[in-house]
Amino acid sequence: MDTTANTRQGLKELINRAGIGLALLGLVVFFSVFTEHFLTANNITNILTQITINLILAVGMTFVILIGGIDLSVGSIMAFAAVIAGKAMTMPGLGPTEAILLAVMAGLLAGMLCGLLNGFLSAYWSIPSFIITLGMLNIARGAALQVTDAQTVYAFPKEFSEFGSSLIFGVPVVFILALLLVAVAWFILNHTILGRMIYGIGNNEEAVRLAGHSVFRYKMIAFTICGLTAGIAAIVYMARLNIASPIAGIGFELNAIAAVIIGGTSLNGGRGSVIGTLMGALIIGVLANGLILLGLSDFMRQMITGVVLIAAVLLDQYRARYGRST
Amino acid sequence: MTNIQRLEAGSDNDETVLRVTGLKKHFGGVKALDGVDFSLRKGEVHALVGENGAGKSTLIRVLTGVHTFKDGAITLGGASFAPQSPQQAKARGVQVVHQELNLLSHLSVAENISIEALPRNRFGLYDRAETRRRARLALDAIGLSDVDVDAVVSTLGIAHRQLIEIARALQSDSAILILDEPTATLTDREKLRLFDIVRAMAARGVTVVFVTHHLDEVFAICQRVTVFRNGKTIITQDIPQTSPAEVVRHMVGREVGQLATKRPAIPANVPIALSLKSFRVAGSSSADGVSLDLRYGEILGIAGLVGSGRTELLRGIFAIDPVVSGTLQRDGVDISLKNPAQAIAAGIGFVTEDRKDEGLILSMPIAANTTLANMNLVTRLGLLRHRGEASIATEYGAKLQLKFGKISDAVSSLSGGNQQKVVLAKWLATAPRVLMLDEPTRGVDVGAKAEIYAILRDLADQGMAILVVSSELPELMTLCDRILVMAQNAIQGCVMPADYAEENILKLAYRQS
Amino acid sequence: MSILKSLAAATLSGLLLTTAAFAEDKPVVGLVMKSLANEFFQNMMVGAEAHAARRGDYELRAVGMQNETDFESQINAVENFITEGVDVIVIAPADSRAMVGPIKKAIEAGITVVNFDVALDAAAKTEAGLELAFVGPDNRGGAKLAGDALGKALGQGGKVVIIEGNPSADNANERRLGFEDSIAEYGLELVDSRTAHWETEEANSVFSTMLTANPDIQGVMAANDSMAIGVVRALEAAGRTDILVVGFDNVPAVGPMIEDGRLLATVDQFGTDMAANAIDLGLGVVAGGPPLEGWVKTPVSLVTK
Repeated sequence: MDTTANTRQGLKELINRAGIGLALLGLVVFFSVFTEHFLTANNITNILTQITINLILAVGMTFVILIGGIDLSVGSIMAFAAVIAGKAMTMPGLGPTEAILLAVMAGLLAGMLCGLLNGFLSAYWSIPSFIITLGMLNIARGAALQVTDAQTVYAFPKEFSEFGSSLIFGVPVVFILALLLVAVAWFILNHTILGRMIYGIGNNEEAVRLAGHSVFRYKMIAFTICGLTAGIAAIVYMARLNIASPIAGIGFELNAIAAVIIGGTSLNGGRGSVIGTLMGALIIGVLANGLILLGLSDFMRQMITGVVLIAAVLLDQYRARYGRST
Repeated sequence: MTNIQRLEAGSDNDETVLRVTGLKKHFGGVKALDGVDFSLRKGEVHALVGENGAGKSTLIRVLTGVHTFKDGAITLGGASFAPQSPQQAKARGVQVVHQELNLLSHLSVAENISIEALPRNRFGLYDRAETRRRARLALDAIGLSDVDVDAVVSTLGIAHRQLIEIARALQSDSAILILDEPTATLTDREKLRLFDIVRAMAARGVTVVFVTHHLDEVFAICQRVTVFRNGKTIITQDIPQTSPAEVVRHMVGREVGQLATKRPAIPANVPIALSLKSFRVAGSSSADGVSLDLRYGEILGIAGLVGSGRTELLRGIFAIDPVVSGTLQRDGVDISLKNPAQAIAAGIGFVTEDRKDEGLILSMPIAANTTLANMNLVTRLGLLRHRGEASIATEYGAKLQLKFGKISDAVSSLSGGNQQKVVLAKWLATAPRVLMLDEPTRGVDVGAKAEIYAILRDLADQGMAILVVSSELPELMTLCDRILVMAQNAIQGCVMPADYAEENILKLAYRQS
Repeated sequence: MSILKSLAAATLSGLLLTTAAFAEDKPVVGLVMKSLANEFFQNMMVGAEAHAARRGDYELRAVGMQNETDFESQINAVENFITEGVDVIVIAPADSRAMVGPIKKAIEAGITVVNFDVALDAAAKTEAGLELAFVGPDNRGGAKLAGDALGKALGQGGKVVIIEGNPSADNANERRLGFEDSIAEYGLELVDSRTAHWETEEANSVFSTMLTANPDIQGVMAANDSMAIGVVRALEAAGRTDILVVGFDNVPAVGPMIEDGRLLATVDQFGTDMAANAIDLGLGVVAGGPPLEGWVKTPVSLVTK
């Protein structure tokens, strides 16, 4: 009997989520009608490639926002992880496979360490994560510049950059990787204790603590996951652009937060989903792409992007309110 | 008392200030108000009672301009009344003091009292002296001369905060003042003080609507009572013409059985489940601390005024707050608990005082809340078994006669009594041997209250050791095998069933024995 | 944020103050740079430090910012140098209008000021009654060198796009104008022109979308090499080898791309020497040489395979 309950719950959620899906569909239809190239295989490949980094960052950000935190440092962590990985990959005397493996490990580890530090500092001393990660934004950026002396790291093995631009049936491999991350995150959030605790902490931290769970531990895990996704984003960045720049990813945190919020996750924590985040990232990507195809000036483009972000959140608010009173 | 008599005589004049007829308010498919009739006379204290979900809160929200309405009519002072906002309601003299406090906790008492219209001096700047003067006046008017107007609200106890909110509502010229569960957090002494204030207000011609779950209060202070059930007005009666039993019958729509009967004392050979010796929590004002023994199968009550250290004691036992000295024994063995997880592992459960802030994750499903304290029941290798979880939650729901739609519904969709049952289910799912409860029936309606008492009695009969803290003395006297009375972080004495009387308990609580 | 930045800058200048030994007879040169996170300026500073060590007859105090537009820290740095009474201030203004006031103050305090890299706004200078020479590369001329290389390769009617720098930056505007000069001279067709804010990733995204809209693009003019790298990667991802790209700056990372033809050309403005050259000019004035006038152009040259 609870399966029917689950299905009905799922259906309700689907309808609830359809709001954001409808917005996405509306944008797609609009751009398909008014531009010549929007709905072409090439362009769709482009969009998917272009949203991949933001999507990966936003998946990690979803965990942090769900526990009621925020991570302003992901753009900087991405740059730091990228230059660490870049340095590892260009170490002399390594074969391409070893170089790539070492680099990926180093990049992911660097990202995780930064995230762990964010989580530890904000959870242990109960300092708002806004402040701690604002500090990390500067620390990681400074570290990236220090490590490289502000020089771009380049000359990666050919195999690596091929991975960055390879397609499977027209779908970028890096986007498939990001989708896989979305799936894993969805599974964690809906089918593990960790996920249950993350929603619980976001809703009522005290109730979770009094039920005998370590809030500290789960907060650390959420931030570490966010750091890890910044590390993954760093690897994808390198594979796509074939360089590792210490000034990469400036402002990326805001795009990632925007994707999460547009996707219907509450900034107060406790409510939202990673599927919504996927939708949010798609909306941002479709908009950025479509407005260029439409031939709008850069400044108009920037304004419209802002307007759409606000509209998406208002729509979600309206939906939440309407949904409550029915 | 003289006030009341004078008012009762005056109420014969039948000066109706507010009349509600055929009021309907629907939220989607839910009929929160389904044709309500309600009237108020000038200067009366009118009780509004009904189980949770009966429509009391919705009516208050309509009267105070939070909700608008389409069907029905309201007249206030002879003119039509349809407030579109709380400001409009206030302008017509309708004020409410909410159950949830609306004070700005980092501002001073004076600033809070004047926050809606901060006074300005002739230069148009904020006038601090005038703010303080008005606050002093407002506080003195309700007999709160002991409260410093410059005190920051967060430093005051919850009872004082409530009185300050009443002072705030009263300083503007209210025609109708609605008090929503005003005594929920008050001790008996504070309650009496509030009643005096209410009587004085009524004598000045203010009409007071008293929304409460406590019928003793209704009969102590009100002249008339209106009963709501399922969004409808059941009856309005003059207090002298009715009885508590009759009101309860109207509220629940059926007769409520007598509460659990007295039982023989627990024999001394029953093993002790939990034993405290000179147990002192941080901030305790007592040098000796608390010593007590709790036996299996026993329901031990702890009475005391707010601030006597009852809640702090339970929080100390459950290792939420630090313990400074003393020992804690489980089954005769000294143990030292470092966090709630270890307390749970030691077989202790703790139903906290505040289910919204500490007990429940309101927006999460009933099922998820039920298993929150014992995730092992429903996980394998860290993975959740949703189906197993639903069936376990359903099982506990059935055991506790939980009334719910779907087990996957959010807890926030339940009434107060059923929410409390979910908290209980959560702790029962940990299979505790010792269960501690702090104010187990706060904000719970009469029917559910009786059910919760029966459940606790049943658990004790099955051998569970139960420790109950409550401000409601009838509750403790109904439920407990023994009542310990606390004051100033120490046990002042023990009252046995043979001596159960509010007077005996209060004497100890006020340290008058 | 800006408080943080100013603090950081102040600490940095303070550090340099304490470490640099005061030598009475040596003139002191205050070097005010833009973002040291930008490798162009980082290299420039390294060049200046090497230059100071080599000449040995002046004292160098260098201050950098945290980002390109942080003119508040620059104002603080200039004011600090005035207080300390340095002999020469060599400055790459972060904002061509905002820096006019502080620079005027420095000149009134008797300090020799050399303005390099980005010229102060002419109108703002006139308004403030400030006369100051500019020492720097011809961004427009440099961009035209790269544009001309593309024009020659494509011939009349070739379809090109421009990837611009930050819209508010002077050098971004100059370079765009230089590209447009080439477009006019070689009769190219400008299909689209958009900013990617100097950024590799953004250039990659923006250009791949432009390519979708205009698949018949034949050439790309990127206002710096970071963006050119993003464009080259977008072409690789799209499997297009028929489109020619030119950049600007000659950063090390484009070396291999010039080598194998993925990048047709870039422009070297000898950034490493730029600050050093400006310092030489300033010291010349202090030593009694004639004041600088007008635009002292520093060399730019085309880099191809």
